[in-house]
Amino acid sequence: MSDESATGIPIKPALSGVVNEAIDRRYGAGFVTDIETDRLPPGLSEEIIRAISARKQEPAWMTEWRLQAYRHWLQMAMPNWAKLSVAPIDLQSISYYAAPKQQPKSLDEVDPKLLETFDKLGVPLHERARLAGVAVDAVFDSVSVGTTFRKELAEAGVIFCSMSEAIREHPELVRKYLGTVVPVGDNYFAALNSAVFSDGSFVFIPQGVRCPMELSTYFRINAGHTGQFERTMIIAEEGAHVSYLEGCTAPMRDENQLHAAVVELVVMERAEIKYSTVQNWYPGDEEGRGGIYNFVTKRGDCRGDDSKLTWTQVETGSAITWKYPSCILRGNRSIGEFYSVALTHHRQQADTGTKMIHLGKQTKSKIVSKGISAGRSSNSYRGLVKVEKGAQGARNHTQCDSLLIGKQCGAHTFPYIEVKNPTATIEHEATTSKISDEQMFYCRSRGIGEEDAVSLIVDGFCRQVFRELPMEFAVEAKKLLEVSLEGAVG
Amino acid sequence: MSGCVPLLDEVLKQPTVGRPHFDSAESTWLAQLRQSERAVLAREGLPDRHNEAWKYTSLRALAQQRFAIGDREAGQRPVSETELHLPGIDGPRIVFVHGVFRADLSSLQEMPAGLEVTTLGQALSTGAASLRSWMQRPIADGAAAFERINLVMATDGVSLQVQAGFHIEAPVHLLYLGSETDTQLAWHARARIELGAGAELSLVEHYAGSSRSEQFATVVSDIRVHEDARLQLIQIQHAAEATTLVRHERFRLASRARVGMHTIEMGGVLVRHEIETLLEGEGAIFDTCGLFVPQGRQHVDIRLDIRHQARDTRSNATWRGIADQRGHGVFHGGIVIERGADGADARLHNKNLLLSDQAEIDTQPVLEIYADEVQAAHGATVGQINEQALFYLRSRGLPLAAARRLLMVAFCREILEGISPPSLREYLAERLTQHLPLSIKG
Repeated sequence: MSDESATGIPIKPALSGVVNEAIDRRYGAGFVTDIETDRLPPGLSEEIIRAISARKQEPAWMTEWRLQAYRHWLQMAMPNWAKLSVAPIDLQSISYYAAPKQQPKSLDEVDPKLLETFDKLGVPLHERARLAGVAVDAVFDSVSVGTTFRKELAEAGVIFCSMSEAIREHPELVRKYLGTVVPVGDNYFAALNSAVFSDGSFVFIPQGVRCPMELSTYFRINAGHTGQFERTMIIAEEGAHVSYLEGCTAPMRDENQLHAAVVELVVMERAEIKYSTVQNWYPGDEEGRGGIYNFVTKRGDCRGDDSKLTWTQVETGSAITWKYPSCILRGNRSIGEFYSVALTHHRQQADTGTKMIHLGKQTKSKIVSKGISAGRSSNSYRGLVKVEKGAQGARNHTQCDSLLIGKQCGAHTFPYIEVKNPTATIEHEATTSKISDEQMFYCRSRGIGEEDAVSLIVDGFCRQVFRELPMEFAVEAKKLLEVSLEGAVG
Repeated sequence: MSGCVPLLDEVLKQPTVGRPHFDSAESTWLAQLRQSERAVLAREGLPDRHNEAWKYTSLRALAQQRFAIGDREAGQRPVSETELHLPGIDGPRIVFVHGVFRADLSSLQEMPAGLEVTTLGQALSTGAASLRSWMQRPIADGAAAFERINLVMATDGVSLQVQAGFHIEAPVHLLYLGSETDTQLAWHARARIELGAGAELSLVEHYAGSSRSEQFATVVSDIRVHEDARLQLIQIQHAAEATTLVRHERFRLASRARVGMHTIEMGGVLVRHEIETLLEGEGAIFDTCGLFVPQGRQHVDIRLDIRHQARDTRSNATWRGIADQRGHGVFHGGIVIERGADGADARLHNKNLLLSDQAEIDTQPVLEIYADEVQAAHGATVGQINEQALFYLRSRGLPLAAARRLLMVAFCREILEGISPPSLREYLAERLTQHLPLSIKG
């Protein structure tokens, strides 16, 4: 598979340091690795699905579940209600399975070329991970390569492995929870994912256990024309606590790549899950060519009383982002939180937000959404706060703010508030602004350059959200925003 | 939904309808237009819940009903004197009964200078060229079934024009009355209001009725306010209890034009009110305050679509809702700031009280912004009556139900504040108090 050329740093004549730096700051993760991959021919059919299931050595019930999802999907049509302009996707021209041929049995056996890839991406599995005390589950294309610190987690009783492994080693757990938060027929992309999901993370925290370290997953799409269809599940039993980080990157491509993941979270009594995402998929070039389509269904079910779920996301990548991480507040006194920074530049489009469904009594939800639009992009917040009849004493506070940079972009807000219980208190507010001339003048008159001033102001704008991120991510997120906004003001 | 529902059947099978004075003036182009709109209606039918603009309002029950089109006796229906008057409103009065103009009930003798009032039928017979363009007004795709029904079925309407530079002092009273009938009745009317440059008008648009029989009515209004003109509009909707009323208003504001609107929705069983505003000229200002108070089994659906299209335009929308018993309030407050509309200042607030287990409030404040030099903010809340305020009143001897009602009226006060004259304001407060239920149980 070497029809792609590696895009390294081009040889430059002697230029000033500043210019070099600016050129280097182009999308750092835009390169591919020459490695043998095992691919299925493009197209989707029952044969392909059986082939995927066979390659992953799945039990019969899993294959059947996939086939049922596929049959369901055949009855559905792609939705088009979002404020997005999506070029038609030819789902029959995508290959639904690509795995590197060499499959290591432990981390020490990982293909050195793969490890080199991870080095380039800044994730040296051995050293940095160990120092930071973070267990990393690195997914290369469609198959998990290795999991660090499995032993330490196993001592605590925590299961942290790939979905494929979980289906083999813990089938009863997977079967119990799979599809219970995002049913197969929930939406078009969830159905597709249920049929062809390749891999993802499986996390299980038993009763009363505080996970001893932050869990993290790292994704990468490599070969062209493959969609990434991750399936992730996190189950926190009574009194369990876990913080999970998700960060993504992908190489430069000309054809769009589809990313239709499904994440299901189950939070039991007095348990807590914090799910943080820094999303940096390839966003397309200045003219909007290429770029990842990120159509994701993420949902958490706060099943137990006093359970808590926090979604934190920093979305800067993708050509099109379409996702609504949501919370079903079933348990009494359960709490759902959503903190989001979504940045769009050039010709990116984002239609993202959350759904908070209040079912139990005395439930609370908090939504803080910060949208930054630059270039010719379009950034929409779409959210639902729904209070059902039995949801006594529900409380919600929503704050949506938009920052517009430039005259060609758009910032939109579509909140839906549906209340059927008279004891609810629901508050929603939204503001829109630009970086004011006064703010810019203040910074520049104190010797701060224009781009740095923009970074400073944007950082302040996003402060409320960055505060909720685990520290390493907060630093990465700030840097990410800086890089993503270059050339926006001027 | 295809066109084969009873409601549309009645609409589609009628030959070109209308009173004689209207029909005789009908030119070929109107007949052709109605024919083509009829075809679109047959094809598209009524919107169902999958249509986003009708997500919270079901038309299934309405679709199954048959209404007699027009009232042959509209010209003779008796109307009591009290129904014709509003305190403090003593200017020209234009009265329609079941969508038909009643000269005998109207008061147009002492017409202030600069004000021209004609009915749609009269205007068509003089063949004024401008009428063609507003009868042929653009209808957006999608959810415009009722605009089409109105275009096809309207029997009469009013045209109100204020000449440039004239200030009409006395408020004009436009009254749409429903009267007691023994059959289910449908009527459709149009209105066209135009203020020339620098003109000023105060208008009270009033819907009232006492019929207990079911009625279905649509009113489509086009309001054009030219440069520097000012319109004060008070809308009092107190239609009869079994009425389904669908209204669509399109406002067009030129440079520095100003419209201030107060809307009180009290009557009807199914009410849909669409307010579309185009701020076309620089410096135009649009203020809308409104109140909807669905009780019993009422369903009220308010839809604002305010578009800032020029520089330095301003809009301010303050709406409040109280849903009690089995009432259902729906509010969509859409603001669009188009590219180039820099300097726009748009604010929208919708506060709601939800007072019973069976009531429901659905609110959607929406912002679509394509310019960057803007100030735009919106807020929406749903809550209940302040417990402490309730306790305060009860501890001073007020029974619970009365205290509750007092606080509900207080909640409405902010919307009534800007209404003048004071006698009208107090009259409305009184009607509101009667409308809000005394009982606590739904």
